[in-house]
Amino acid sequence: MVSQLTRNERQLALVILSALALCGLAMAAIGRDDLIGGHGAFILLASLGMGFVVTSGYYHAEPSDERLAHYYDDPSKVGIVLAMIWVVFGLFIGDWVAWLLVYPEMTFDGGWASFGRLRPIHTTAVIFGFGGNALIATSFHVLQRTSRARLPDQLSPWFVLLGYNLFCLLAVTGYSMGLTQSKEYAEPEWYADIWLVIVWVTYFVLYLRTLARRKEPHIYVANWYYMAFILVVAVLHIVNNLAVPVSIAHAKSYSLFSGVQDAMTQWWYGHNAVAFFLTAGFLGMMYYYLPKKAGRPIFSYRMSIISFWGITFMYMWAGSHHLHYTALPQWVQTLGVTFSVMLLVPSWASAGNALLTLNGAWHKVRDDATLRFMMVAAIFYGLSTFEGSFMAIRPVNALSHYTDWTVGHVHAGALGWVALITFGSFYSVVPWLWKRERMYSAKLVELHFWLALAGTIIYVFAMWNSGIIQGLMWRTYNDSGTLAYSFVDSLIAMRPYYIARAIGGLLFLIGAAVGFYNIWMTARGALEESPTNADRPAAVPVAARTIEAGE
Amino acid sequence: MFGLHYKLERNTIGFALAVIVVAGIGGFVEIAPLFTVDETVEEAPNMRVYTPLELAGRNIYIREGCYACHSQMIRTLRDEVERYGPYSLAVESKYDHPMLWGSKRTGPDIARLGGKYSDQWHVAHLNNPRDVVPESIMPSYAYLGRAELKANDLGLHLKAMRAVGVPYTDEMIANATSDTYGQAMPDSTFSSGLSKRYGDKTTVRDFDGVAGQVTEMDALVAYLQILGKLTDAAYSPVAKAED
Amino acid sequence: MDIDHNIAVVVAKSFGLFYLIALSIGVLVYVYWPSNGKRFDDAAKNVIHDEDAPWH
Ligand code: HEC
Repeated sequence: MVSQLTRNERQLALVILSALALCGLAMAAIGRDDLIGGHGAFILLASLGMGFVVTSGYYHAEPSDERLAHYYDDPSKVGIVLAMIWVVFGLFIGDWVAWLLVYPEMTFDGGWASFGRLRPIHTTAVIFGFGGNALIATSFHVLQRTSRARLPDQLSPWFVLLGYNLFCLLAVTGYSMGLTQSKEYAEPEWYADIWLVIVWVTYFVLYLRTLARRKEPHIYVANWYYMAFILVVAVLHIVNNLAVPVSIAHAKSYSLFSGVQDAMTQWWYGHNAVAFFLTAGFLGMMYYYLPKKAGRPIFSYRMSIISFWGITFMYMWAGSHHLHYTALPQWVQTLGVTFSVMLLVPSWASAGNALLTLNGAWHKVRDDATLRFMMVAAIFYGLSTFEGSFMAIRPVNALSHYTDWTVGHVHAGALGWVALITFGSFYSVVPWLWKRERMYSAKLVELHFWLALAGTIIYVFAMWNSGIIQGLMWRTYNDSGTLAYSFVDSLIAMRPYYIARAIGGLLFLIGAAVGFYNIWMTARGALEESPTNADRPAAVPVAARTIEAGE
Repeated sequence: MFGLHYKLERNTIGFALAVIVVAGIGGFVEIAPLFTVDETVEEAPNMRVYTPLELAGRNIYIREGCYACHSQMIRTLRDEVERYGPYSLAVESKYDHPMLWGSKRTGPDIARLGGKYSDQWHVAHLNNPRDVVPESIMPSYAYLGRAELKANDLGLHLKAMRAVGVPYTDEMIANATSDTYGQAMPDSTFSSGLSKRYGDKTTVRDFDGVAGQVTEMDALVAYLQILGKLTDAAYSPVAKAED
Repeated sequence: MDIDHNIAVVVAKSFGLFYLIALSIGVLVYVYWPSNGKRFDDAAKNVIHDEDAPWH
């Protein structure tokens, strides 16, 4: 990795790492009586470790100008491996907390192992660790191909990728020690938030600099989605995390907003994080990898533009549907419903566009599990956006809110859409990036597909059932006009579904582990069996150059 | 018209700005009323602020992620009002930085928990929920009773809360640490000024039932017992529910 | 806050709607403007055939 940096970049890297190490040192010293001191020490060690790597490669020969004739893909490769590590870890924790709801005793009498601290570790690891790394890795790949230009330098992509992972690590280690703002999906404390802003601005600037160097006049639509993702997430992150720390020696902070204002800001954030992190970014992925893998241009480019502006505009208004029947003013709730329902139009336009692109290539979808991942992802995208609009309607929400139905809905989107489109894209891009003829094992891709699909379906059905039963039990009256069930009654009724959910999650986790193994073996240059499909060329052994992640 | 867009697209910064404007105006126009929404929040002149002990308890509630399973927002639906009590008013979370309305009821809503159970019940329940409710799936929090509460910096916490708009007085800030001990040690000398500063109804009790030490359990139970009791605004006009 | 809450609400409700309509029309006109068609087709096709090296 270091040998690819120019001398100037190596110097700059050392400057950045020294500054970071100093910040870590200062935090460790000033905050020694608080948990922030531990994080300071962590930052110090991380930057010293990286500093050691850079110094030891400092006198390697500089890269030749020949590099400029190629795209710069190593950050994408490392990003993909990191995303796979995060997903296996995050799904493991997720399944663990699912089992905790069946066997609540498994907490070892320690705070770190209790549901409330593990749950944000799960959500952060899968959304930010897996999703974020996948977006960063693929965005670098797509950006260069569609601009027909190399990234402008070698240092900033590493800064973005590794800096982002530092943020994720601060987040998850923080929760297990009890550091959290309690804002869902924005739990990390103020210093981690500030660090993310720095990383994110660099990311955005890197994107603009590459686009400015592009040789292709038109900016391909996938980049629009990636850019909306980067930009809007920055705005959301900054506004929702405004807070006053107790002191610079304390990790704890108090949010600027309170009560109803805070609730609205939080769900404006929460909903648009779904929109711009989990939707726009991954649509960008889909609009590049799906046509490319299918070998067919996107069905309607026009429709993709219309969906883009529709999503960009309308999602912003929809967040208040998270707060129906609460102390939030009624008109805001109504506005939320209206826009949530209208959102169906651009959402289905995107899903339909994807499926119509595959229309006429169904034989490929049948034979190739990679394309099937993407097809099923588009179907789940269509389903869960429909479900989302439906659940935003007030009377439906009265039943569904606070129940497992919401959890089921989220996972239809997160497993069915986000994870499947990512796996499909990874299985496409990994052989291209590592210059392999194909994935290590087509059979394992197939196995992963069925595990993931079965896991998702079991999960979602279990949660639909439990959610609806829960919602109904809470509002059922008996003949004498009093509530028929106690809360604990509903709790007992949930148990079988919680077991089913945990099993579904386990299948999905095993699938992801299989995927990780397959990607790892492909990166190492192994090929398992020869491809079975007649329409593929016979396997030509690729010179087995072993590549380490990060080389 | 389209010439403009063509230029926009060729000019990346312009394109980025367009995205900001489109998304931003939508967001801003909707968000703007929310920055003024406090004008619509009900008045509750008698509402008191959290004592330092309760605030510390609230921070433990946040730290342990209780909000992941418990909501604190009773909706205006008949069954909720009958199950949990009068629906929540905006003003009741006026001093909640951040709010803890929650999004999931794996456990019941606890917006009006204060006074529902005795301190002993809470301590037993937190030590091991299944001792009290055999079917419970709530984690046990016995370690809270073994952890001494860190109270020496609570003055700084109140100061930060004041910076975001909660009306803590200088006197409250100066006495934060001793007020913390005072509230959990009824017989000590620390308790004297507490009710003067926070109101007569402030409960001074040994919440965890273990004398001589202020633990995190004390703080958490003190917080649970104040839930829904900072103001009685929700009870004054009889809260009526929609169906 | 200086802006009165009611004013903010009225602006949100009225201006927001007009803005939405204007924007939708703008996007539709752009998308269906005849001379843009070829550019879109090219863009859609070009990603399929990108050779694996930057242009110079
Ligand atoms: C895994 C989800 C979960 C977490 C995390 C959790 N609880 Fe619970 N809680 C429950 C369930 C389920 C019940 C209902 C059964 C019972 O009473 O134990 C409950 C009940 C309660 C009750 C009784 C409410 C009533 O009205 O009867 C209180 C009080 C309570 N929890 C407090 C807490 C506190 C404080 C925390 C954090 C330290 C916490 N809970 C964390 C699930 C959870």
